[in-house]
Amino acid sequence: MSVSNDMIIGVEGVSKKFCRSLKRTMLYGVRDVARDVLGFPANSNGLRSDEFWALDNVSFEVQRGECIGLIGPNGAGKSTLLKLLNGITLPDKGTIKVAGRLAALLELGAGFHPMLTGRENIYLSGAISGLSKQDIRKNFDAIVDFAGLEEFIDSPVKYYSSGMYVRLGFAIIAHANPDIFLIDEALAVGDGSFQSKCYAKLQEFKEREITVIFVTHSLDMVMTNCSRSLLFDKGKLVGDGTSKVIVDKYNRMTTRGAQTENILHENRVRGANSRSASKNIEWRGLFNVNPDEDRYGSRKAEILEAGIFNLDHAPVQILERNREFLIKIKVQHNDSMPAAVVAYSIKDPKGIIMCGTNTLYQKIDMGKVEGGTVVLIVFKQVVRLNAGDYLLSVGCGAWEMGEYIVYDRRFDYIPFQVAAVWQRVGLFDPESEVEWKRLN
Amino acid sequence: MKEAFQSRRMTAALVPESRENTAPVQSTYTPCGVSRDGIGGWRIMFKELAESRRLIWLLILRDISVRYRQSILGYVWAVVPQIVMVGVFAFLHASRVLPIGGTRIAYVAYALWGISVWQLFAGCLLSCANSLVSSGSLVSKVNFPREALVIAALGQPTFDFLVRLAPIVVVFIWYGVVPWWESVFIPLVLLPVMLLALGLGFVLSIANLVIRDTGNALGTALTIGMFLTPVLYPPPVRWPFFLVNHLNPLSPLLAASHDLIAQGFLTKPEMFAAVCLLALVLALGGWRAFRVTISRVAGYA
Repeated sequence: MSVSNDMIIGVEGVSKKFCRSLKRTMLYGVRDVARDVLGFPANSNGLRSDEFWALDNVSFEVQRGECIGLIGPNGAGKSTLLKLLNGITLPDKGTIKVAGRLAALLELGAGFHPMLTGRENIYLSGAISGLSKQDIRKNFDAIVDFAGLEEFIDSPVKYYSSGMYVRLGFAIIAHANPDIFLIDEALAVGDGSFQSKCYAKLQEFKEREITVIFVTHSLDMVMTNCSRSLLFDKGKLVGDGTSKVIVDKYNRMTTRGAQTENILHENRVRGANSRSASKNIEWRGLFNVNPDEDRYGSRKAEILEAGIFNLDHAPVQILERNREFLIKIKVQHNDSMPAAVVAYSIKDPKGIIMCGTNTLYQKIDMGKVEGGTVVLIVFKQVVRLNAGDYLLSVGCGAWEMGEYIVYDRRFDYIPFQVAAVWQRVGLFDPESEVEWKRLN
Repeated sequence: MKEAFQSRRMTAALVPESRENTAPVQSTYTPCGVSRDGIGGWRIMFKELAESRRLIWLLILRDISVRYRQSILGYVWAVVPQIVMVGVFAFLHASRVLPIGGTRIAYVAYALWGISVWQLFAGCLLSCANSLVSSGSLVSKVNFPREALVIAALGQPTFDFLVRLAPIVVVFIWYGVVPWWESVFIPLVLLPVMLLALGLGFVLSIANLVIRDTGNALGTALTIGMFLTPVLYPPPVRWPFFLVNHLNPLSPLLAASHDLIAQGFLTKPEMFAAVCLLALVLALGGWRAFRVTISRVAGYA
């Protein structure tokens, strides 16, 4: 099957502008409406004063059955994009093609009337979302059950909590049987048990090849549910790829010091310290270092190397569960400065952080150091992770004037495995002790 | 009254018809809008209107059933303002403080009917003009045929009008006014009244989204408008005052309804026909303008 046959959403060069000033918004609104009514072409290419591009030349395609996370800082254009996909507002430039029935949950209880009961709102909101009579009749009990609102279904929704609102809203849309499903941050409001219901529903959507696009700030949710993510920043699509890569990129984007100072520092310190650096590198070749490690930072201090060792200081690639092991990190300080905070974290292949700590949390203070000082930090711990593949990330940085500045971060630096004779359920070994006796 | 809209009854009525089947849907969104393609555009508009008639009906039911839920006197409030207003003017009339000319039927009956028709128009217009603004996030966050909101806004004032017929009947009996049998055609006079309000309402609802002054200005304009329409006084005959009979599109409609009640035939059928045509053109034109602009201004809600 060719790719284009499966394309369900095509976004091509789409831009959308907004106005910062409310007064100008009115003026432009009157002009635009007048142009529309009189049949003049929309005057949408340039920016007028106080306007900015909320979305700027965004292009991507979505295949049937994909589950896509939209991430990015506030005001990056994610919600605007959902509105455009839903056809609520039109783009100022570009084309959007949507091949399928679309259901959207863009705001908590957007179709609800506060004075109507939950029951009445299900029917009204269903009608607004284009649900057929049969659909609602057939699914009414399932909707109420899914929302968990049997008790309150005949109370006015103005007495509902925000969690109940979103449960009802999601339940209605989830039973709308769409081809494409848009959700805007709404799911975060529900409680734990409802969220797990939602995830189960998302899984079911995946199996039924329903395309899901959602905006969220929960990176864990993106990693667990979405194979692919789109990263937005200031209206531009700045990343499109597997969720793991994009989430790393987002983390990097939101970290101060990641982009700045880099070149400046490198030039200043390279000459002075290259000799001490080469002398201190001794683990080369001992570990399967990840060639795709994600490394960035200002390099005011840098990580020369890091490794995983057993208690006999022998390098290991496979750890035995519940054995103690060491993580060693060598940090070279390129300036006279307070010693950097050194950290490690362990991620699973999906990118979910399993555990980690740093010298600050461990209350280690290494004082001030001279330029060129190399410090070896050894973390000793027990690996209680379930058997499987993991990635070690290491980093160093410091709090400078209220901001955490990354000096050097090496994400997904060393892959390793945890081995165990018997599997456990979940992420960790609960280290259960089991007793038993016969009672009769 | 409240009982009639209790949940179970409402539920039965609230079940909408199928809007779409499983046929593949293909939508394309570009800067030039969705429906500016001549005759084809009109066909889509009527098709979508037919598809959303169930939704319109549900929205009307919603408004009517919700309006007085948290109230004890309920629909009494639909008739009280009228009666007070007519009471005041009847007093001014009877005490000759205000020289109001003679009317064909008893003044109280005349004024009460006139003000009810006026309120039908004013209520429909206000309610249409505010329909988008008052729906808030429904307009800006949900995609559905949004003219349903404007059209459904006619429901509440129309229902109020029907409620007001009760005191009218009482007053007519009290003053011994017997309408001509031709009065059964009055709905045909009220229809253009509502179409007029709808057409203006389509345009004003959009304007209100962009500039909120529209709603306030409209309230003031309607207050003045009531006195520029022969509602509480008979149509003036002297120059320049009789101009209100001709320049105000509502005057011929009101006059036509009075004609049917008091004499059984229209005095100026040509004026009536002209205003009917105007109402139809306004309603269609307003609808079209609404369709062309709604997706541009939906974000303003």
